[in-house]
Amino acid sequence: MLMIPTLIGITIMVFAISRIAPGDPVSLSMGPGGQMDAERAADVREARMKLYGLDQPVPVQYAKWFIRVVRFDFGDSLKHHRPVIDIIKDRFPITLTLNLIAFFLIYMISLPMGVLAAVKHRRFFDRASSVLLFMLWALPSMWVGQMMIGYLCGPAFLNWFPPAGLSSNNAEILPFFPWLVDRLWHLTLPVLCLTYGGFAYLTKQVRAGMLENLRADYVRTARSKGLSNWTVVIKHAFRNSVIPVITIMATLIPAMLGGSVIIEQIFSIPGMGMLAFEAVTTRDYNVVMAVATIGGLLNLAGLLFGDIAYAMVDPRISFEDAD
Amino acid sequence: MNRRSALYSAVIVLLLLVVIVLQILSMIQSDRLYERLNRIAGISKPQKTEARVKEGIKNEYPGDDGDWLIWCINSEPSNFNPITSSDAVANYVVSGNIFETLIEYNEDTFEHKPLLAKSFAISEDGLQIDFILRDDITFSDGHPVTADDVIFSYNTIINPGVDALSYANYLQDVDHVVKMNDRHVRFIMKRVYFRSLSICGGIPVIPEHIYRFSSPDEFNKRISNPVGSGPYIFEKWEVGREIIIRKNLDYWGKMPNVDKIIFRVITNDAAAVQALRAGQVDFIKQPSPELFSEMSQNRDFTEKFHCLSYWHPGVGYFWIGWNQDRPFFRDKRVRQAMTHILDRENIIKHILKNPEAMIPTGNFYIHGPQYDSAIIPWPYDPERAKQLLDEAGWVDTNGNGIRDKDGVEFRFKYQIVGGTSIHEQMAKLVKDAAAKVGIEVEIDPYEWSVFINRVYDRKFDAVNLATVGGLAGDPYQTWHSSQIGNRGSNYVGFNVAEADKLMEEARVTIDDEKRNKLYHQFHRILHEEQPHTFIYTRPGEAFLSKRFENVKMHLLGINHFEWYVPKENQRYR
Repeated sequence: MLMIPTLIGITIMVFAISRIAPGDPVSLSMGPGGQMDAERAADVREARMKLYGLDQPVPVQYAKWFIRVVRFDFGDSLKHHRPVIDIIKDRFPITLTLNLIAFFLIYMISLPMGVLAAVKHRRFFDRASSVLLFMLWALPSMWVGQMMIGYLCGPAFLNWFPPAGLSSNNAEILPFFPWLVDRLWHLTLPVLCLTYGGFAYLTKQVRAGMLENLRADYVRTARSKGLSNWTVVIKHAFRNSVIPVITIMATLIPAMLGGSVIIEQIFSIPGMGMLAFEAVTTRDYNVVMAVATIGGLLNLAGLLFGDIAYAMVDPRISFEDAD
Repeated sequence: MNRRSALYSAVIVLLLLVVIVLQILSMIQSDRLYERLNRIAGISKPQKTEARVKEGIKNEYPGDDGDWLIWCINSEPSNFNPITSSDAVANYVVSGNIFETLIEYNEDTFEHKPLLAKSFAISEDGLQIDFILRDDITFSDGHPVTADDVIFSYNTIINPGVDALSYANYLQDVDHVVKMNDRHVRFIMKRVYFRSLSICGGIPVIPEHIYRFSSPDEFNKRISNPVGSGPYIFEKWEVGREIIIRKNLDYWGKMPNVDKIIFRVITNDAAAVQALRAGQVDFIKQPSPELFSEMSQNRDFTEKFHCLSYWHPGVGYFWIGWNQDRPFFRDKRVRQAMTHILDRENIIKHILKNPEAMIPTGNFYIHGPQYDSAIIPWPYDPERAKQLLDEAGWVDTNGNGIRDKDGVEFRFKYQIVGGTSIHEQMAKLVKDAAAKVGIEVEIDPYEWSVFINRVYDRKFDAVNLATVGGLAGDPYQTWHSSQIGNRGSNYVGFNVAEADKLMEEARVTIDDEKRNKLYHQFHRILHEEQPHTFIYTRPGEAFLSKRFENVKMHLLGINHFEWYVPKENQRYR
């Protein structure tokens, strides 16, 4: 239940930061070197401020904003003159698709890798995988993205992937299946960029959890009962090692939304990340606030989901006991 | 046990290998699919427009009809309301293509020429401007364009609730607009101003029957589906991806050749060039200077693409402004010295890498009639600079290697926009050059929106900025002494009485030739005073697929209406 005050806290912070930060949409839209007389510039500026509702003191602006948001009205974008919520409706599914695929891939690859690394503790696979994963983790996705566009997306080297966007020219006239393939083809590189850095962390977590459990007494007991190695690893040790991994899931979601800002900008994908970037550079306050609020909400939802999943997997944890 | 886990790992490795192979196969497959897709794109998509082609219509631009132009834009346009949108990208889409103005410039002579108006006239006293509309003009929905639409457009812009306040500011000199009859509009001006004709004639004419509104907010929210009188019709806007406009087959005027223009959003410069090379886009306007110089030296690239480097009045110029409130820059000798220490030829050669860039000596468009080309730029001469600084009394009295005067050390902050590599390289060059003559420079980078606020408030010592040009720009706002402070545009604090007088006189001189003479004099003062060090002016740059022919350079730049693709090279239909 601490969630609601936290969320309000987040919005106040973002609101305050966005208003205190130098620069404002009015100066930006007027531009420097414009042909405007000094005596008029001030008037125009004032009128504009009023039009955007920026002439009131910040706390009043916040109160107004808050009252609107409670009714799920995020206001209009100052740049696009469109309700912010419509813009987000256009863009959110794109980011979500991107991140869910990446998320799924990270788990699909990291879990078996971690288990295997623990089983092969200090053997070749363990060492090799950890070196490889940390190398991947250390590569900045901004650079990798640019390299991929440079080397995989043009006739100069390998012309395998499209360098930008989500679908080909005229893709909307294709039947569903080829359309899907086209979409996936466009998503490959961005997803790859979002994914590769996530392996190291998760694999290490799984591996550490597994190692701890493999050394535990109950595993030895299970083995001495004559159960096969496979059964011991999967049924006994793995199930118990999954617990921390679930909590990590909750923290990975916001991190990926953050990564999305960069990836979307590099691959020209019109998702939430690009929207956020654009809104911040043009000081489109309503959009910034909406993105931050929704981001915060997702974050908290992630944490809540983590807690619930935790209780489900581990019978030792229950919410009643906490009191 | 050991053997089991070995088996297990073998299985995993095998699975991974299978995944990799599948991935490669799927990539090959999608490559094929893409080829097919491009072909499909070529044949399907029924074009009912073709059946509507009018018999006997004379296509006035030479060349074959057909094909699409895929135009790469680097950001999402704000909206397609020609009155409330102010970004360049939205302007590419709507202005000229969808909306038209009463008059335009002749692209080869800089003179006004009729467009929606068949004739125009300014009264003797310069206070009345008459426009007579053509009889055959219609909006794309078939409604005729009338005087009422022109007046409606004007009234919309000046409506204080409409988000077009900076635009409305240009129209401040208009007292009111009179409808003489259905085809005749008269603008009554409050005062004489030489730009009145181009300002009034430059209003985008919007159809009243479509844009009529009851509250200004309703108008502000009209962001898409623009309807105008131009040669193209708006087809669709897929947010974040593309905007499609198609030829208006009932267009009243000179019909362009290209059937459709697709504006594709690619936010990453390098990706845009890759998309161009892969044939997914055809045209990139203003790629980054680094990319332009790199690609125009690549033979493979130049075989398939035009690397256009073209002069047009919008090029503007790039300058360093010296804030004259600061003790060091008050003396014009110091400002001249600052210009002398900079090797501008070298900047153009090694940083810009565009051999066509030039060093301007004043604020006007370098190939325009207001610019006095007889003035020669100050040379690169550090010795002369030292001499000038000595004369101005800036000498190193305390022996610390930095010049000083009256206890003030010659040490200043040089404000730039962070993250732009050309500006950063140049800033280092300035720092270096200044150090050689005993001046210490600290580079001071800011994010853009912070940067311009500091410029407005004149909170800088020296600033590095570009000014957007215009054909008949008025120097008044940037250089008149009344424009210092109060967020006026005279950021550097230039204040010369003689220049003020010249500018005031020029503003009310309607005759072009007389006015240009005054501007030549003004230009000379600017050169002498060096309130800015004018660094360079560079032509516009663009990449265009060589599929397109008849690509000409005019005095006003390039014009995509006249481009065409020969039948045998056409790709889309």
